[in-house]
This record gives sequence, structure tokens and C-alpha cells, in this order.
Amino acid sequence: MSLLELVDLHTYFRTKRGVVKAVNGVSYRVEAGKTLGVVGESGSGKSVSAMSILRLLDGNGYIHSGKILFEGRDLTKIPMNEMYAIRGNEISVIFQEPMTSLNPVFTIQRQLQEVYRTHQRVSKKAAEEKAVQSLQDVRIPNPETVLRQYPHQLSGGMRQRIMIAMALACEPRVLIADEPTTALDVTIQAQILNLMRDLQTQRGTAILFITHDLGVIREMADSVAVMYCGEVVEMAPVAKIFGDRVISHPYTEGLLESIPRLDTEPGVRLEAIPGSVPHPLNLPKGCKFAPRCKFATPFCREQEPALEEVAPAHSIRCLYPDTEKRRKEIET
Amino acid sequence: MIRYIARRLLYVVFVFFIVSILMFGIYKMVPGDPARMMLDTSIANTDPEQYNKLYQEARERLGLDKPIVVQYVSWIGNMLRGDFGYSSQYRMPVIDMVKTPMKNTILLNLASLVLVFGITIPLGIVTAVKQYSVFDTVVQVGTVVGYSLPAFIISLVCIFFFAVKFPIFPISGVNTAGFTGTGWAKVLDTAKHMALPLLVMTLSSLGGITRYVRAAMIDVLRMEYIRTARAKGLREKVVIYSHAFRNALIPVVTIVTGWFVGVFGGSVVIESIFMWNGIGNVLFTALKQQDFAVVLAMQMFYVVLTLAGNLIMDLGYCLVDPRVKLE
Repeated sequence: MSLLELVDLHTYFRTKRGVVKAVNGVSYRVEAGKTLGVVGESGSGKSVSAMSILRLLDGNGYIHSGKILFEGRDLTKIPMNEMYAIRGNEISVIFQEPMTSLNPVFTIQRQLQEVYRTHQRVSKKAAEEKAVQSLQDVRIPNPETVLRQYPHQLSGGMRQRIMIAMALACEPRVLIADEPTTALDVTIQAQILNLMRDLQTQRGTAILFITHDLGVIREMADSVAVMYCGEVVEMAPVAKIFGDRVISHPYTEGLLESIPRLDTEPGVRLEAIPGSVPHPLNLPKGCKFAPRCKFATPFCREQEPALEEVAPAHSIRCLYPDTEKRRKEIET
Repeated sequence: MIRYIARRLLYVVFVFFIVSILMFGIYKMVPGDPARMMLDTSIANTDPEQYNKLYQEARERLGLDKPIVVQYVSWIGNMLRGDFGYSSQYRMPVIDMVKTPMKNTILLNLASLVLVFGITIPLGIVTAVKQYSVFDTVVQVGTVVGYSLPAFIISLVCIFFFAVKFPIFPISGVNTAGFTGTGWAKVLDTAKHMALPLLVMTLSSLGGITRYVRAAMIDVLRMEYIRTARAKGLREKVVIYSHAFRNALIPVVTIVTGWFVGVFGGSVVIESIFMWNGIGNVLFTALKQQDFAVVLAMQMFYVVLTLAGNLIMDLGYCLVDPRVKLE
């Protein structure tokens, strides 16, 4: 049994113009101590699928159907009271924007201690010691001073460390990292990623890592789920995604080709996926990626492919998963 | 912090003097003669000489025969010593004349302030949290209606219902005519008389401030740190009343301090309708009667209040928002 498992999850949003199916039948698993990377463009449903786990959706969002199994318990069915006990305690979240994710009117101390105070019975003194300890764990220099400061007095990197300290305060089983390094510059990004990896090895926390940055995925993840238009289009161990690519989804292929590499010849243009993500209220018939896919056949525009296991632990949602074969097909 | 306050106080003194010169100059330029207003004009026809003598005496008594600079200096000197002048209309010192109406106005306004914020803050929070619900929609429509209706219309409606249809409350005065009771009896009598003006005053302010609190709260509830607070496992009550409300308080502080100054200013309309002997009415008649001593003294009082109010507002900001630095 996996630690956390999404089974055929559908999360929808009610809007004035209709129901937006942001997550449309997504299944993935997070194993204890491992990292699952979820990649996709903006609007692919990667964040929404993760926020569904803790019911942190915006007011008009709701889980339509599906299961979210955490240690065998279906989180979509539990009462709110039990959800409060899970949030920040057994499953916690780090958000994208460290600049706005901390409350500007409270000190770091208050925001950090709130987590222990909510989930554990600790004395005031113990909470203070714990706060200092957890800031040390995320390598913040002079934690005593920082505790008394307000968020606006700290840099983005420091704030993200505090977010991590807050998220890990109760030693959760699962950490959901929703683009935790997107808003940071590259050096700070590397520091934060190292920190997360170290803390993961020490504590055995499972990480659900959401990003649109394949480079980060390669460094962090054990396995990868690629999402497009609210669906998983490819799921594989990280080595397979970045490996020989004998079989792959054209979308994943496109994403990989759009990354600049050190060995790319100067002057060679980067490949880009043409077009943009279709509007969720106006999805194409058949394969949702077909309008942007250079390998698409008339068949693709008619029939919607299913996510199929093409090799052990490797699933692809494409009628032509074999890279060589589909290349030849468009040549003829 | 202390240095900042000291500097601000210095600035208050400076502005006070500038405004006092402007005010004094303006009232000197207004046509009309306070000395003549004090005299019984019937003598002018029967005994012009006697009238002239009395007129000169009055001018001397009011200091109007001296140069304008001397007049200003003696006026401001008296003000600073706590002598606010002499009301030509009521023939008594301004301070004694203003005392009772001021007390009545403050009483009415304070009661209204407590009621208005006591109602609008929770109402604003609930409507923000339940945005677009039936309750919210009903309140929103109500606030627009309340906001659009002028106070005198609300007054008439309230009088119709609570004094004519169901004669529960008296419609005029501060106390029953000839009332001599003391202690609780007096409090009760005043409270009864205050009910209608208080109701009108509160009703006419509810709409605007409810909308203001609601808007501030909605803005805050969209913030990312609210989602962080939820993700920590905090209960919705803690998220709303601790994390969100502390932030929504920041814009609300502005209007609360605005009201603090308003407590001392009477409403001419409401005071006239309900014959509430308040400062708004007094100021209005004083202006009509060219009772400049009263008008000037009151104006300077409001100047000081506004300056103090601004200082308190800035200090209040500093208290609720740690990002604000007073420099």
C-alpha cells in the first residue's frame, strides 16, 4: 500500500461560464520516503490535484469524485475535524510565493509556534526551544533574532526556509511542495533544494513535488507524473523520463526538447511546443494534446487515448508511444 | 518613537497657529458687527446719542477699537489661557454656553459609534466569509438602500414607526420638559429621548461601514497567508478572527479614528429634527447670529481635534501593522 494515493480524482470548479474540470481523472502514488514530481504547464491541474488532498481549494472548487487514500484512509470522506488534525501535522504544504505566504502582522515566532500549539501539547518553554531548533534545522543563522522578526524584515530565501520549518514542524509523513523554488533566484533555489533533500533523508518524509521545471524534477524526483489538461499523460521513474526515450509521450518529449542544454550548439534554436494549453471550457475532441502535437493523426483527433502501461512502471496516454515508430509515420 | 511623537506635536502647534491666524482673519472680514448685535436696536431710534455711547462701550468691551493684530494677540492669548470668549448671542462665556450641547452631542455620537462598529465589524466579517450567499446578498442590498437614503428620510420613517404608529419613544428634546429626576431616573429619561436620534444616526452609517469592512476582509481572505494558515491545520475560526481580521483591521483603523474626531461634531440635520440640544445646532445658529466668539472657539477646537486625530491614526497604524515605521 502506498502512503498517499490519488485514485481517479476529479476536481471541478464552478464558474459563471460552466464547470471547469481542472483535474479530470488523475491517479498517482506517493511512496514513503520517496519523491514524486508532478510536472506540467500552468493550468495543467498539477497544483489543484495536490491542493485537493488537503481540501485547500478556492471557494468554488470541489472534489467531484475519486479517492484520496492516505495510509488507507479516504481523505475525501473524512469529516473536517479530522482534516484539521492532518493538515500541518501529517501532511503539510510549502507554497510558491514565500513573499506573501507568511502573515505580515505576526512575528515568525508566533507563526511557527502556532503549528506546535495546534497539533501537540507543548509548554510555552518547550515550544520556544522547538522553534529555535527548527530554524536551526533549516540552517537559519541566529534563530533567536529571526524569531522576533516580522516577515517583511526577511529575504525571500529566508522566508521560504521558514515556510519549510513550519511545514516540517510536526514531522509530517508527506510534504506537498507546490513550486517551492519558482519565485527564488537560482542560487537560493539550489540551497533550498539541497535543504529539502537533506531533511528528507534524515526524516524519511515523502515529497509530492510540483513544478514546471524539468531540471528541478531531475534533481529531486524518484518518479515523475507529467500532467496536461487535468490528466496524467505520462508516468515513469525519473531515469526513464530522462533516459533513452524509446517510448515516451510527445508532450514530455516536447518539454525536454525545450530545455537549453550545455551541449547544444550555439545558434541552434530551441524546440518549442507550438500553440498554448486549450481553454478548460473548450477542450478538443480526442487526444487533448493532438492540436499541438506534430505527430498527430486524424485518428488522434477522434479517439481519446487511455493511460496505458507500456513498460513496467511506465504508463503513457498516447496512441503512438513508440518514439521511432511515430517519427517514421509522419515521414511517410 | 518618542522623538517622532515630539516632532509631530511640534508640527501640531505650528499648524494650530497658522490656522488660527487664517480663521481670525476670515471672521474679521465677514460683514457684520458683533458690537451692534449685542445692543438693543430700539434705542437707536429714540435716543441716538445714548445708542452711540452704548455702541462705543460695547466696542471697547469686545476690544474692537484696537488694531487687528492686537485683537488677534489678545484673542489667542485668552484662548491659550482657557478663556474662549464671550457669546454675544447668549451673553455668557462661550465655555459655559457650549458645555451642555457638547455633552449631549458626545453622548449621542459615542453611543452611535459603539453601536455602528459593534454591528458593522461582525456583519462585515460574516458577509465577507459567506460572500455571495443569500445572507450576504440581502445585507448588500440593505447597505445600498441605507447608504442612499439621506438622514432626514430615515428620521421621518423612524418617527412614523416608533412615535406615530407605535408611540414608544418621544420625538424631541433631551429630557422630558420640566423633568427634575436624578440618578437612574434621569439616565432612563435621557436614554428614551436619545433612542430615535441614535437609531437614525446608526442606521445612516451602517451601510457604508459594513461595505468597507466587508471589502477589507474579502481582500485579506484572498491572500496567500490565509491559505498557509489553513494548511497549518488551524480551525476556520482562528484563520478568520486571528489571521484575517488582524490584517483587515489595518484599513478599518483609518475610519475609526476619523469617527473619533466626528464624535465631537454634531449633525445639524438630526439635531434639528429631534430638537436634540447639540453642538451642531449651536454652531449653526451662532453662525447665523454672527456670534463669532462661539464659532471661532469651536473651529479652533475642531482644528486641534483633527490634528490630534491624525496623530492618533498614524500611531494606530503603527500598532496594527508592523511594516509601518514612524520616521
